[in-house]
Amino acid sequence: MGESKLAILEGLLFAAGEEGMHKKQLSEILEIRENEVEELLEDWKEELQNPGRGIRLMESRGTYSLTTKPEYAAVYKRWGYKKNHTRLSQASLESLAIIAYRQPITRVEVDYIRGVKSDQALQTLAERQLVEEAGRKETVGRPILYRTTEHFLTYFGLQSLEDLPELKEAFQEDYSAAENFFDSLEEG
Amino acid sequence: MSVKSEYHIKVEGFEGPMDLLLHLIQRLEIDIHDIPVAEITDQYMEYIHTMNELELDIASEYLVMAATLLAMKSSTLLPEEPVDPEELESEEDPREELMERLKEYRKFKYAAGQLKDREAEDNEVYSRPPVSIEEGAGDDQQATVFDMIEALQRMFNKTGSPSPEVETGVKRDEMPIKRTMDHILQKIQQSPSGITFEKLFSARTRTEMVNTFLALLELVKDKQVLCRQDEHFEDLYIFKQGDNHGRE
Repeated sequence: MGESKLAILEGLLFAAGEEGMHKKQLSEILEIRENEVEELLEDWKEELQNPGRGIRLMESRGTYSLTTKPEYAAVYKRWGYKKNHTRLSQASLESLAIIAYRQPITRVEVDYIRGVKSDQALQTLAERQLVEEAGRKETVGRPILYRTTEHFLTYFGLQSLEDLPELKEAFQEDYSAAENFFDSLEEG
Repeated sequence: MSVKSEYHIKVEGFEGPMDLLLHLIQRLEIDIHDIPVAEITDQYMEYIHTMNELELDIASEYLVMAATLLAMKSSTLLPEEPVDPEELESEEDPREELMERLKEYRKFKYAAGQLKDREAEDNEVYSRPPVSIEEGAGDDQQATVFDMIEALQRMFNKTGSPSPEVETGVKRDEMPIKRTMDHILQKIQQSPSGITFEKLFSARTRTEMVNTFLALLELVKDKQVLCRQDEHFEDLYIFKQGDNHGRE
């Protein structure tokens, strides 16, 4: 009997929904090795990249789940599935970027990179479930470590953490807001 | 408090001293690897003074950076003593640390911008709650009141009905339901794998049985305990609600 591992896998992940399944779990159910699971998933991921397909495979710390595709986010929103979120502030975005690339990281370390306190931003990020606690750092005071969540991936439509763009040196700054502020001071 | 935060928002054009410094470096078209300390310090102080004159609430971080810059500037103004080259090498350029921090911050500022773009582009993806495949699992398997009554009957069949002769006189409120509930919870706590229905009915007086039964119903209603029966006519098991028993 031609039992298709891929078909089982597809069904499993469909049923698991947002909770997804860890590759270890999958390997147990399918009775194949973990690296074989990975191969299957990799092939499938490619197949789903076909523009004619509407779902995508997401990976978060070894757990795979199916999501819609980011390019149609607006359509699903219009349908009324989700309402628009308030956009994140610059402080939150900076803190989130630091956590995303340097996780797990403590608040003090985020503060140091930004040169300002980030507690407010971190609180917002935690409330919006974009970051979560990830244990304690084994140093003086055992500060809380933070990492990004699975929701961070879905919110930004990332397929996995590896999907984050490379941390680059070069960039174009936009200080128009700040410039306008100081210009208006000089005028007044 | 509200006035203060209002002022603070006005200078939100900058995210902090690092951001202000980056701005100055770009405006002055300075190479970040070779920062003219005197110039950048003067410019920085100018901004601080402007903010100060306007009585804006300057975050302490800006002042800390100002102090750092001034210290760096004064050290560069000191006449350079001829030092032996080995010592010179070990002495670190005070600009080095600042430069590294600025470069590091700039990277994340850029990354934050990319996230912002992604957010604006509306890239969110959606999923949905998992389906419950296990048939008869969970809520479906919860025993009904009738199952509980049947269990009680089976118990009576085995052990005989409660003996009314034990009851003498009127004992009102001897076992208030609340106390029985606590008692049941305690018992369940001791056996995380669940406890059989029969074990809860230790004593055999009618009052006590009624009491226990009512307390159990109350607990089920409050969702504090879960009553389960895997097969019809099998033993009923009582679990503490919220424990993972047999699910997933």
